[in-house]
Amino acid sequence: MALDKAARKPIRDGLLAGALEDLDQVSLYGSHCPSCGETSLGANDVCPNCGGASVSRTPLSRSGTLWTYTVVRHKPPGNYQGPDPFKPFGLGLVELPDGIRVLSPIDAPPEQLRIGMPLQFHPYVLRTDEGGAEIVAFSFQPVA
Amino acid sequence: MSEVYILGAGIHPFGRFDKTYEAIGSEAAAAALKDAGVAWRDIQAAYLSRMYLPATSGVRILRKLGSTDIPVVDIEAACASGGAALRQAVLAIKSGEVDLVLVCGVEKMPRGFMDPSMIYSPWQIELGMSLNPGYWSMRATRHMHDFGTTEEQIAKVAYKNHRNSVHNPNAMYRKEFSLEEILASPLVCDPIRRLEICAPNDGAAAVVVASERKMRELGAAGIRIAGVAHTIARYSADFRCPADSMSATADNEGPTQVTARQAYEKAGLGPEDVNCFEVQDTDAFCEIEIYEELGLCPLGEGGRLIDEGVTDIGGSHPVNMSGGLISKGEPVGASHLGQIVEIVSQLRGQSGPRQVEGARIGLAHVLGAGGNCAVTILQA
Repeated sequence: MALDKAARKPIRDGLLAGALEDLDQVSLYGSHCPSCGETSLGANDVCPNCGGASVSRTPLSRSGTLWTYTVVRHKPPGNYQGPDPFKPFGLGLVELPDGIRVLSPIDAPPEQLRIGMPLQFHPYVLRTDEGGAEIVAFSFQPVA
Repeated sequence: MSEVYILGAGIHPFGRFDKTYEAIGSEAAAAALKDAGVAWRDIQAAYLSRMYLPATSGVRILRKLGSTDIPVVDIEAACASGGAALRQAVLAIKSGEVDLVLVCGVEKMPRGFMDPSMIYSPWQIELGMSLNPGYWSMRATRHMHDFGTTEEQIAKVAYKNHRNSVHNPNAMYRKEFSLEEILASPLVCDPIRRLEICAPNDGAAAVVVASERKMRELGAAGIRIAGVAHTIARYSADFRCPADSMSATADNEGPTQVTARQAYEKAGLGPEDVNCFEVQDTDAFCEIEIYEELGLCPLGEGGRLIDEGVTDIGGSHPVNMSGGLISKGEPVGASHLGQIVEIVSQLRGQSGPRQVEGARIGLAHVLGAGGNCAVTILQA
């Protein structure tokens, strides 16, 4: 049976905005609260800051800068889906102009990581689930 | 409302033991009862703090001391579990319903990184966001960028705590390391190294707390609980597991600042009044940040404190005389009560080579997942 591209799913419900068959158009979802002005990650029904229920969903910017980072030097425990054998990788908070910092793997050589470096959103197919759907995950990459 | 006093404290060493959690916990509870000079049958309520143990752990542990029908309640608030349990005991006594309460913290944990499914969502685990030290390390990277804190200053905290541990028979590691050895130990998550982080392990600690009336009736001389507070982090005030993002605009005070202020206010004391501290050094950097947030110095100046020896035993604000979690290990549910055992020993003048001369007031602080923070201030 041929894979149905529409069967792509986000790695977490409500995390990704845009049609998943065209990854160039996909971004992270945010939820903007008009009461307190905060934007939270994902498609939320309630503002996690003030509890306001009139939040509106908005695609977040695909460009940001590295606010802080670490290099993970040991294979994370549990069902980690990264490269096997394990390779140390960057993990950081990416500040977006929407007023939010998002935790993300940083797809760059660890020695190149610097606070303030420009980064762009990179959605990709991580794996195929048991039903044949492609699971879409994300990282941030240095601007080419 | 009654003042609340600690009449007795007991500990089972922190480490790795071929022993059940029931045995580890009941030994600490029995030691606390013995130290208080009271019998288990006289206890009117008990709180058992733990994170990684099964349901009804408290009942299973404390029934080993003899049959009882008192309420025994398990409490979980991540690394602050022990503080949350102690606070419940204080509230119960202040309510006037009970006069004598046992609080016991216990944990038995496997070696290595903690089971991520306890804290993280499946998607975070798949993407490799499930390593607790990664979160602490990102805080360190940013602090170094903003304030010029150095890797050497971070290593000095580990050096101090390992050095203090040599005198603590209840610590898991009791070995002094040179600054060079610490800085040469492998990176776990940059910039934090293996000799700068704590390991999960086994252990238990317990206290018997009483109302003032009960203490007088028993003719005991207790240590007063001057203040105990527990909070969780306000919105985006703390970036700690399992956070997936934080606000770039909200500017809330961190959980340590908020909790410490509540505890200081209850005690009518400030950081300058406190003679000794036990704080959450899950990693060596974390201790530097806690100096600032407990008010030992302005924000950004924590590195200077370790350089100047202010937090050494013999300094003006000794921190982690016990060796801290870096050398004791962190049996999560037991860690705060372990700190309380150390402070009680310091305020009684029973700490031997690690004694802070003339200590009258001590503070214990824990902080962990979900931004759970607890601070307890004790006064002799």
